[in-house]
Amino acid sequence: MEGNRIGRRTILRTAGALAAATAVTGCGTLMGSSESRGSGGGKKRLVVSNSGGAYNDALAKAIYEPFTKETGITVTTVNYQSAQVIAQVKQGRPQVDLMDNSLLVFQKMARLECLEAMDHDRLKSVKGAGIPEHQLPEHAVGKNVWCSLMAYRTDSLKRAPKSWGDFWNTHSFTGPRSLQSAEVDIPELEFALLADGVPLDKLYPLDVDRAFKSMSRIRGGVKKFWNTGALPAVLLGRKEVVATSLYGGRADELIKQGMPVAYQWNGARRLTNGWGIPKGADNTDAAYKLIDFSLRPEVQAAFAKLYPGGPVVPGAIKLLSEDVLAALPTSPQNLKIGFDADVAWWDKNRDAVTKRWQEWADA
Amino acid sequence: MAGTALAPGKVRVKTTSAMRGHRSRIALVNAVPVTVFLLVLFVYPIIGVLSLSLKGDNGAFTLHWYADALSGANLSVLVSTLRISAETAVLSLLVGFVLAHAIARMRPVFAALAMLIVVVPHFISALVRTYGWIIMLGEHGLINSLATSVHLPGAPYSLLYNETGVVIGTTSVMLPYTVLVLQGVMRGVDGRLLAAAAGFGASRFTIFTRIYLPLVAPGIGTAGLLSFILCLGYYITPALMGGDKQTVVAALIDQQVMKQDQWNSAAAFGVILLLLTFAGLGVLGLAKLRRKKTAARRSSS
Repeated sequence: MEGNRIGRRTILRTAGALAAATAVTGCGTLMGSSESRGSGGGKKRLVVSNSGGAYNDALAKAIYEPFTKETGITVTTVNYQSAQVIAQVKQGRPQVDLMDNSLLVFQKMARLECLEAMDHDRLKSVKGAGIPEHQLPEHAVGKNVWCSLMAYRTDSLKRAPKSWGDFWNTHSFTGPRSLQSAEVDIPELEFALLADGVPLDKLYPLDVDRAFKSMSRIRGGVKKFWNTGALPAVLLGRKEVVATSLYGGRADELIKQGMPVAYQWNGARRLTNGWGIPKGADNTDAAYKLIDFSLRPEVQAAFAKLYPGGPVVPGAIKLLSEDVLAALPTSPQNLKIGFDADVAWWDKNRDAVTKRWQEWADA
Repeated sequence: MAGTALAPGKVRVKTTSAMRGHRSRIALVNAVPVTVFLLVLFVYPIIGVLSLSLKGDNGAFTLHWYADALSGANLSVLVSTLRISAETAVLSLLVGFVLAHAIARMRPVFAALAMLIVVVPHFISALVRTYGWIIMLGEHGLINSLATSVHLPGAPYSLLYNETGVVIGTTSVMLPYTVLVLQGVMRGVDGRLLAAAAGFGASRFTIFTRIYLPLVAPGIGTAGLLSFILCLGYYITPALMGGDKQTVVAALIDQQVMKQDQWNSAAAFGVILLLLTFAGLGVLGLAKLRRKKTAARRSSS
């Protein structure tokens, strides 16, 4: 009997992801109807999903709260991942009115026909604001830019690595490294290509063969391919590695703690977070209002001061001090030496690259 | 003789058959909510998972996902999952046995305290616990600093981001289960049997191998299998403490569902894990059956 009971628990755990997702969807249907639609016709409530944590705190302070003050529409946040929302849309009705996620995810959701088309003409803040075209895809709109960049320990390395070529050069810059695994977001094939001499403007379409060859060269020097966003900073802080790729902003936290750490904007890979409306969501008026609000230059600037997410609206840059700009991927200076990940390429090739990565890691 | 002395409960069970029938009817009624609960929340989803795993992209029946799961890189993920689980089971049995043996002989107050120390880490989030391991096992961690300072040969050791790291981590997670199971069995061992053996002049080693070990054997089987099965579905520790060769099935399932929207393949992996779990339980059941048979033969002879 003992064995049986444990068996059941294990089975639940092993089938975990599936069972949990099913349960969430199931409960969600019950709760959602009272939550997002309980207020009747007034639609004074907007359910927004984001990835939580410090990101959510900054969003609440810079965007949601001032928005509620101005419009009377309250914002309820949930922490659904895109897979959950996709499952909800396929079940018939999404439990979120508006999603805050990366444009890469929206590219995929658009392909799966899980997003409403985005009417950019409805957004006053977009008109004439000069938002780059790639941040205004058909089914989404960009909001803030984040990035992956190289950070290193100044006490372990005698010279500062200036490029991914230096990062790959384990002879002149000795010590263990860390790079991102294919388990989170997208692997850093671009860095491998830059290290191999591909120029910044000739990256896409990625030469996958060449990238993996380059990855093989540094593999022996990589102690751990990190698979959670917090891990590379921990590894660097504990001196487990002397250099690593990490999300912009994580290195600033280490420096603030007084660690001998610095980072390099050269070759930083940018990805944009933005808004998308899941198919079947019926609170679009309020959703568009919030999107519009979030793209005002002063709101964009307020968010950038709280969180290292670069504004997509050029007008917001002028409202920020040099200090804040130095830590943002979209400051004029940093914009030039980094690059935007091509989400269309990645969406098309991601599954194949992931499979290849698994085989490569296994070999 | 030994059989009756060990199982006083069997005597008590001898009630009238009418009473037993009445009781079991009541038990049946009591079981209804649980059964319904399990049918709706367990059996139904499992059937859903099973049918997902047999469906192709166009909805037709296919074994493609199983073929895919059992070939190439996926197969080696499955193999390393089994290997890590087996290593964890053996190690947590060894450590758990020593620990449980010590705890079983302690005075109750100390035993409770020791159990608390074993179990308390379980209340800490797995993520935080794993970061604690980095501080312990890292290149500049506690153990390696100690080893280098006393000039142990080969120090510093690679204790993280390889299989050693994973097995250390998973063993610590499984330890409470093995200790709890083993300790329960060890407390049930009749001390008089050991004393009798000693009285007849058996050495401590003989007492341990011929008397003690057979008496706690069922517990060893259960505890070992338990940690093996739990480990099959475990995922955070291998992901955070292993290298790229220690990818486990659960991590693959997570990735396929959350990132690749590939539910069919994930379902196939889920079913494979489920079957492995059943196989493990089957082995345990067979062992129990055989023990019962030999016990019956012995008591009848």
